[in-house]
Order: sequence, then C-alpha cells, then structure tokens
Amino acid sequence: MTFLLAAMIVAVTLAVTFWASKRNTSAGDFYVAGGRISASQNGIAIAGDYMSAASFLGITGLIALNGYDGFMYSVGWFIAYLTVLFIVAEPLRNLGKYTLADMLVYRLKDPRVRTYAAVSTIVISTFYMIAQVVGAGSLISLLSRGAISADLAIPLVGVLMIIYVVVGGMLATTWVQIIKAMLLMFATIVMTVLILNRFGWSFSNLLGQVEAKNGAEFLGAGVKYKNPIDLISLCLALVLGTAGLPHILVRFFTVPTAQDARKSVVWAMALIGAFYVMTAFMGNAANALLGKDAIEAANKAGNMAAPLLAENLFGGAGTLGGEFGLAFVTAVAFATILAVVAGLTISASTSFTHDIYNGVLKGGQASEKDQFRVARLATVAVGVAAILLGLAAKTQNVAFLVALAFALAASANLPVILFTLFWRRFNATGAMWGIVGGILFTLLLIAISPNIMKIDPDTLTTGRHLIQANAIFPLENPGLISIPAGFLFAYLGTLIGARRHTPEDDRIFEDMQFRAYTGAGVDGTVAAHD
Amino acid sequence: MTVSRVPSATRNAAYQQLVAQRNAFTLTMTLTFLVLYFLLPVLAGYNKPLMAQKVLGNVTFGYVLAFAEFIMGWVMAYIYVVKARTFDRLAQEARA
Repeated sequence: MTFLLAAMIVAVTLAVTFWASKRNTSAGDFYVAGGRISASQNGIAIAGDYMSAASFLGITGLIALNGYDGFMYSVGWFIAYLTVLFIVAEPLRNLGKYTLADMLVYRLKDPRVRTYAAVSTIVISTFYMIAQVVGAGSLISLLSRGAISADLAIPLVGVLMIIYVVVGGMLATTWVQIIKAMLLMFATIVMTVLILNRFGWSFSNLLGQVEAKNGAEFLGAGVKYKNPIDLISLCLALVLGTAGLPHILVRFFTVPTAQDARKSVVWAMALIGAFYVMTAFMGNAANALLGKDAIEAANKAGNMAAPLLAENLFGGAGTLGGEFGLAFVTAVAFATILAVVAGLTISASTSFTHDIYNGVLKGGQASEKDQFRVARLATVAVGVAAILLGLAAKTQNVAFLVALAFALAASANLPVILFTLFWRRFNATGAMWGIVGGILFTLLLIAISPNIMKIDPDTLTTGRHLIQANAIFPLENPGLISIPAGFLFAYLGTLIGARRHTPEDDRIFEDMQFRAYTGAGVDGTVAAHD
Repeated sequence: MTVSRVPSATRNAAYQQLVAQRNAFTLTMTLTFLVLYFLLPVLAGYNKPLMAQKVLGNVTFGYVLAFAEFIMGWVMAYIYVVKARTFDRLAQEARA
C-alpha cells in the first residue's frame, strides 16, 4: 500500500510537471516562474520548502525521545520568519531579479561580488542538499522496511528531482512544494485531531501520561541540551540563518511585488506555525502511545516515530486502518524529501546560470535561449553531483549539515545583506570579505567541533565521525562565534577597501534605498522581464 | 539601473517620513522579538526548575512559554501587516 500511495503522489507531481513544462519556455520562467506566482501560492511553497523531512520526522522523533527539548527546535524555526518578514523579504524583492547576488550588485556595482555571492549560494545549497539526500536514502530504506536500499533510493530521488526541475522549472518546483505542503498539513491535522480525541481533548492529560512513563524531567528542559551555551548558539543560528538561506530567498523573486512578498511570508508563518505547534502533540503522543523503547528499536534517531504513530492512531499494527495510516504518512514523507531537494537544486542552478554563466562569463550578454539551455544542463550536473555526494557520504553522520547550512547562511550571507541595505559606507571589498571570511571561518569551526572530531567506539559502523580525536572547539553549532565574526569580517573588509567617500557613493546608496523602500521601478512583473 | 532620478526623490517629504518610520519600526520590532525569543533558550539553559514548573494541570511553564512564542510571532506579524499599510501609502506618495 505504501508503494501505491507513493506512486500516486509521484504520478500527480509528474503530471503537474508536464503541465508546467508548457509554460516553462524562457530563462525567466525557469528561474522564478516569470515572477507570476501569487502570494498565497508562494506562501504555501515557502512553508513546503521549510517543512522538510527533518522537521516532520526529525522533530516528532526528537520530542518523542527527549521531551520538551525537541520542541525548542520548532519554536526557533518558526520565529526565524520574523527576521525574514521585517528585514529581508521586501527589499530583496525590490532590488533583485533572480538571485541574492542581483541585490548586492545593484548596490555595490562590482561584478566580483556576483561571483562570491553565487559561490556562497552554491556552497550552502550543496551542504543542505547532501544532508537531504543522505537522509532520503536512509529514510526511504527505513520507511520501505529495507525493500529499497539507500543505494537505490538516492539515485531514485535524484532522478525524479532532475525531471521536476529540468522539465518544469520553477513553476513545477513551486507546485510540487504546494502539493506536498498541503498533504503534510492534512496528515498532521488529522493525526492531531485523533491524538486529542484519544487523550480527552486535553494536552494536560497527554503530558500526564508522558510524565507517568518517563518521569517529570520530560516536561521540562535539559534532557537533550546539557550545555546552555550550545543551546543559545543553536537558537541564534536558527533565528538568523533562515534570512540568509538561498532556497528560501529565491522564493521572493517568484512573486510580482514587495507586497506579495510580505503576504507570502505571512501565509508561510500561518502554516509553519500551526504545523510546529502540532509537533508538540505528535511527539508527545508518540512517546505516550508507542513508548520510547519501541521508537528507538525502529530507528535510533527517532525518525520512525511519526509513521509508527500514524499506524497506531489509525487502528494499530495489523489492521487495515493502521496499514493505511503508516502508508499515507510514509508517502507524504517521501513527497517531502522530493520537494525539498527540488527546491534546493533550482536555487543552486539558477545561481550558477544567472550569476556565473551569464553574469560573469558572458558579461550579461548570454541570450535567453542559451541561459535556458545552460540552466537545465546545470540542473542535471547539480543532480548528478547530489547523487554522487549522497552515495559517498551515506555512512557518515550528516545530520549536522542542516545546522551547518543555517550557520553558514547566518554568518556569510546575513551580515552582507544587512550592511548592503543599511550601511552607507559599506563597499564591495566588505561584501567579499564578509562572504569568504564568514564561510571559511564557519567551516573551520565546524571542522574542529564535535560534529567532525569525536572518538567513536570501534563497533560503530554507520554515522562515524570523520576525525577520530577529541574536539578542539566545544560547540556543536558555531553560530554564537561565527555570526559576530561574519559581521566583523564584513566591517574590516569595508575599512580595508575604503577610498574617499564621494557624492557618487551617496547617490548610489540613496538610489538603492529609494528603490528598496518604495519599490520604484519594480511594479508588476516588469522586473522579472526587463 | 540609472541613478539620475534619485536626488530629487530623496528630498520628498513622504519618502523622508517613510525611511524614518520604517527604520524605527524595524529596529524596535526586531530587538523586541529577539529579546522575547531568547528568553526561551536562556531560561531553558539556566532556570530548569522554572521551566519544569507545572502551571496548568500537567502543562509546564516551559510549554506555556513556547506556545506563547508562537502567539507572539503571529501577533507581531499581524502588527507589521497593519503598519505596512501606512508604509505602502507613503511609498506610493514618494514614488509619485
């Protein structure tokens, strides 16, 4: 039954892809669906991009195994959208056309900045993607109870994703996100209603049963995060990183105006918030109904908590209802993985084609036809690279790569975005220093952190750490140090690159700010086609 | 991407008002939500007894605070949407 439902979802998404292919005829269509997506569609797609398998399966499992601490992830991922709403979404829409680099170059007028911003986008998307692809391999083999091995699942996800993006471009990618987001919301709402029904419509009753099974500490903080500094560092990266994630930022170029960009964030916040609130019910119910031991027996990281919970809620193992519940949630999780990987791929290939191929190599002179062709070739290349990297990394512990992508986005992209928008004296040297310094310093801190350096017991065969030694840098997430460092690099670069501040510099800054604040020159879909 | 039309635009009163209001609003709201949000990890790190304190039946202070963060997020988004109507109006005047 799982295969049938998963096949049905794949069939629907492929049908949408071929429908979208008719409208996917130019580079602008490929990159941002011609800027014609509506605010509500875009909001649902942003929610889809964000509610990855890591949130659906991962957070449910984290709460089921660690109680309250798992729920703190949910809060941080939601609140992060306030940063996007207040600071980034609207100016980005007003200043850019297809990519983050457009916005930076509009202000800084230096083509080298375009290269650096594109490299940053590709690096961050790649890390995020390796995590998703490796996760997809193990999840699909887990969800199919070993029927599909990781060696088969990774190429399968890669090939489907290439078809969505190459054939359907941004329009198909957006609709795959929308379909998946609605399925995921539907599954979550149904499960939450069943849970509430089971526990007398009382969250307190549910927590009472969790307490009876696990002790009072499960209802408070500290089961998972022992070190407060580590927790604060993680929260900082979550709340600031989203505003620098390329695959989220690219979504603001798919709508016609800044007002639509604002409305899409509000739509996304409504959906994402509701979803994350429900993770508290799902995680605790999984713990109360299934028990920690059964969840850990199925998968040590807790990834099976949500599917097993669905089986239980729909009637239990062995019943028809139970089998359907398990199959449906599994198929939704599969759709989730496909959609998120497609979203990452299109942001990486857009950045490569628009910024590096057209912007830098062709000096902005490449024809629409050439760009369209190169964008699709780049997608195939990104897809193949994702499959190969995924297969190579499949036995490594890669869960930290998502947190790393957030830390990189917060440390390398966010300082440069903020200085570009608000600091009159900021210059191109500062942007390059900020991006390169932010990326390299974050990578260095990760390389010497417990994510990479840890002594595993010899018996551990999967999820081993790369360097078998004690960590030099103590924090799992480097945000607390790397984000201020990113700002410092951008500041120092600006001082080093400073020449005499001219009236022309003032004019460029004021022109940028005028456009960012008023949207002058970007009314309707004009900007996407000029 | 010409810069010619700008100098006159920056002198218009609606635009000056927009920049001043928007900057003040963004700064206030951002600092407020960051402070309120970081209450959660800071209390979770340094005041575990408070987080585990039951306040509504078996619902602990930690859960109440976490749910309150969601409500705060929605309320602040709503405040921004209302306030943005003023910004949109000023932006339109500034462009004209």
